[in-house]
Amino acid sequence: MSKYSISIFVCCLALVCRGQDITDTSEPRDSIESKNAFGLRLGVDLSRQARPLWDDQYSGIEFVGDFRLTEQWWLAAEVGNEERTREETIEQSVLYTYTTSGSYLKIGGDYNTYGNWYGMQNQIHIGGRYAFSTLSQTLDNYRLFNSNRLFSPDEFAVGSTEGITYENLNASWLEVVMGVKAELFANIYIGISARLAHLITTKEPDNFRNLWIPGFNKVTENAKWGVGYNYTISYFLPLYKKAKKPRPEPKTVEE
Amino acid sequence: MLKMWYFYKSDSFLKGVRRLFPILFLGLWIFPYSACEKDDICVEGDTPLLVIGFFDVEDTITPKAVPSLRITLPDLENTLVNTFSDRSSTLDSIGIPLNTQTTSTRFTFITNSADDAEMVETGNQDILDFTYTTRERFVSRACGFVANYADLDTVRTVNAEEDWIKRITIVDTLIERSNGIHVKIFH
Repeated sequence: MSKYSISIFVCCLALVCRGQDITDTSEPRDSIESKNAFGLRLGVDLSRQARPLWDDQYSGIEFVGDFRLTEQWWLAAEVGNEERTREETIEQSVLYTYTTSGSYLKIGGDYNTYGNWYGMQNQIHIGGRYAFSTLSQTLDNYRLFNSNRLFSPDEFAVGSTEGITYENLNASWLEVVMGVKAELFANIYIGISARLAHLITTKEPDNFRNLWIPGFNKVTENAKWGVGYNYTISYFLPLYKKAKKPRPEPKTVEE
Repeated sequence: MLKMWYFYKSDSFLKGVRRLFPILFLGLWIFPYSACEKDDICVEGDTPLLVIGFFDVEDTITPKAVPSLRITLPDLENTLVNTFSDRSSTLDSIGIPLNTQTTSTRFTFITNSADDAEMVETGNQDILDFTYTTRERFVSRACGFVANYADLDTVRTVNAEEDWIKRITIVDTLIERSNGIHVKIFH
């Protein structure tokens, strides 16, 4: 249910900005005053779509959206769903296999640090997100680690081969985002972003841990840092235009 | 100089930059996943050994090593317990593994262990059963699950004349670590 509510929320972002008039865009190129397009940009992460091609233990999808608030600030959100199975081994001996699946929502803002030339709409942005994920974990099977191999010379003794599912787990974290967005064709953007996340809260199962969280990736032992990235293609829906604040005239070298 | 500035603002230049920009950052496509995989080593835990201390039956606080000690598994074709050097005479405490797949493990404790000409054991053999319950505990990403034992008890058939083991005391019924004595054997 939670994954639908997240999707609905992102769709509602579009409703907020309905009713704005698109103003006349014909503007002489030479004019000092230029106009910025404001609107909603929606896209999808290509890396999560492509990853199953080389990693059959993973499936996932992420939608991204951002809405231009001011000249430099964008309200940004990501929503996604991921599932991943991983087998942990020690010196080629299987320890345990687990599957994590769940949805996540990230909300925050991006600040554009890139000063575009006339007519360009590219971004080099830094930003932050608050993120929340609901997940479930299935411990597919596990063996009992024992450095003494007297009773189990070949493989570790079996603990359980029946999947144990832990439901209703969650996690929340903060992210720092750095990225680039470039206009490939009119209103079509490609973007890449890298993220560093720090886990704030996590609800874990008894006698197991949230070793991987959708949207957060691997949870490192003790330190609680996560890294991630996305590679997006998105469409910008221009809704209205506003005059750009005049920038200082470039200095010309005096002869 | 002014001419130069106009070139920067010219259409042809801007188009060039606009084309270039995406290509420049296509090169930034990286795969951090391969770089972030684990290289963890398991140091946080292990399935513990049952630690047995040997004491003098007369002076019960004095550790006393067993001469030429050998421990075998009668249920496993008399396999030698592999945690100490066989037929050692200097050990006053040893750690032995328990079978995590069962709730009891049978050992043959042999003192003055030696073989005669026909390779038959000549030492004094006492059979001991340890009973316990197994608990599975998640330790860490790198170690996974280990077994702990609880409700430790011991069963043996007593034959006072022949037994070299005179008395057994369970010190700790819970086995979570291998660094303290769980069972005292007096001889």
